[in-house]
Amino acid sequence: MDRDKVLGVIKKYILENVEDLKESDLDPTRSLKDFGANSLDIIEVVSCSMRELNIKIPRSELAEIKTIDELVNKFMENQSR
Amino acid sequence: MENLLNYSLADFHHNDNPDVLAPPADFDTWMADPKISYCFSFFEQQLLRAPRSTTEILSNLDHQKRQVINLTSYNYLGLSSHPEVIQAARAALDQYGLGASGAPLLSGTFDLHIRFAKQLAEFKQKEDCLLFSSGLGGNLGTIQGILRKGDVFILDEKCHKSLVDGGTLAGAKMLFFEHNNPDSLEQMLEKSRGKRKLVAVEGVYSMDGDLVKLPEVVAACERHQAGLYLDEAHSTLMFGPHGRGVAEHFGLEHKVGVSFGTLSKSFGGVGGFICSNARLIRYLKCYASSYHFSCAPAPAIVAGMMKALEVATRDSSLRDKLWENTAYLKRRLLDLNLDLGGTESQVIPIIIGSSGEKLFQMATEIQKRGLFLQPVDFPAVPAHARRFRISVSAQLTEAEMDEACNIIEDVIVKGLKN
Repeated sequence: MDRDKVLGVIKKYILENVEDLKESDLDPTRSLKDFGANSLDIIEVVSCSMRELNIKIPRSELAEIKTIDELVNKFMENQSR
Repeated sequence: MENLLNYSLADFHHNDNPDVLAPPADFDTWMADPKISYCFSFFEQQLLRAPRSTTEILSNLDHQKRQVINLTSYNYLGLSSHPEVIQAARAALDQYGLGASGAPLLSGTFDLHIRFAKQLAEFKQKEDCLLFSSGLGGNLGTIQGILRKGDVFILDEKCHKSLVDGGTLAGAKMLFFEHNNPDSLEQMLEKSRGKRKLVAVEGVYSMDGDLVKLPEVVAACERHQAGLYLDEAHSTLMFGPHGRGVAEHFGLEHKVGVSFGTLSKSFGGVGGFICSNARLIRYLKCYASSYHFSCAPAPAIVAGMMKALEVATRDSSLRDKLWENTAYLKRRLLDLNLDLGGTESQVIPIIIGSSGEKLFQMATEIQKRGLFLQPVDFPAVPAHARRFRISVSAQLTEAEMDEACNIIEDVIVKGLKN
């Protein structure tokens, strides 16, 4: 699976879960919180994305992730294991 | 699933098992692992006697009955087994029977409920009070009763699950601000301009034992015309010159819109209550589902808690003893160079770090030595700050605290060096 597909899935769930956000506003170098997501929204985005991509990463390993790009990288690493 | 030990309860909330009555398949795999099931054996250990400062448990670790020094129960003032409290509950049990046998609006309201609610309202210096059968139900029902879709609920990120669930149930937009950070609160209030908004904070935060920065929170709420909800679950009967809580401690009781308290901690019973203006209480009686649709609190428990309120407030001796014990224990633990986080209360964490394995090894040894001190793991606390959490009680004797510190030194201090 390529990076663009992973980013696409994550973006889809961000747009579904965060109010008043357009795809053109989404900058992957920034944090989900910058776009108004609360911690419950973030859990939803991460869980739905992992389920669709068929990967499972312990939440304790995601605590340090700051940006959408870093989340994509973490998902990519997990796939290549 | 690789690295089973890296997973936690944060990882199995989503469930796509086709059988709706089954947990996720990987949850079963995870729980079946011997190391994971061992960690879960610390839960639901049976107490065989009252939760006094020394009690007896049936250990899940080795199935032995064991006398233990109790640093885990929330019986902060020892009121759950106070002789006068027990006597009051016993008398009410004879007069009123076991249960209330009805929801409060129809048939569950007894004279005791009315008197206790009035006493609590006077104690908290508010116009009226609403009693709930559970503490969780009190927060959940009140938030669900106050907020509607389109409103904004702004919470400290360390607020209790009952508040978060109340916001979810209300359908309000939820914004979490960084723990005890007034600048972060200000940003969330800015984002909510033009909306009806409620800010929730806790007097004492339950995993860290630190206090809300109430003066800053009050000022921010006033600037933005936001309602203020203060959860005093871990502070009522203990903080303030008269034990009224952290709002009294800061001299800001009149600025709190809704004051919540639980009856299961310092009161030694079970249930919850809110105190606020009479109009809001009247409205919530009709719209807080956990009040409206629950059976009223058991009359004997209410009678016991009325006596608990009297015992705890007729003089300051119980809370004085609690703070004396807290100061003593904290000093002894700091002498051992332990990391107690930012505690400012009777809730004292001992932060161990990121190793879950070390946490549970230490917990095993501590409990087998006769100290009932429970481990607190991720996701209840951050993964880098797993910990033990001490609840100090006014009942503890110096000898019990000294022996607890000996065990902590032998196990935790030595364990952290290895």
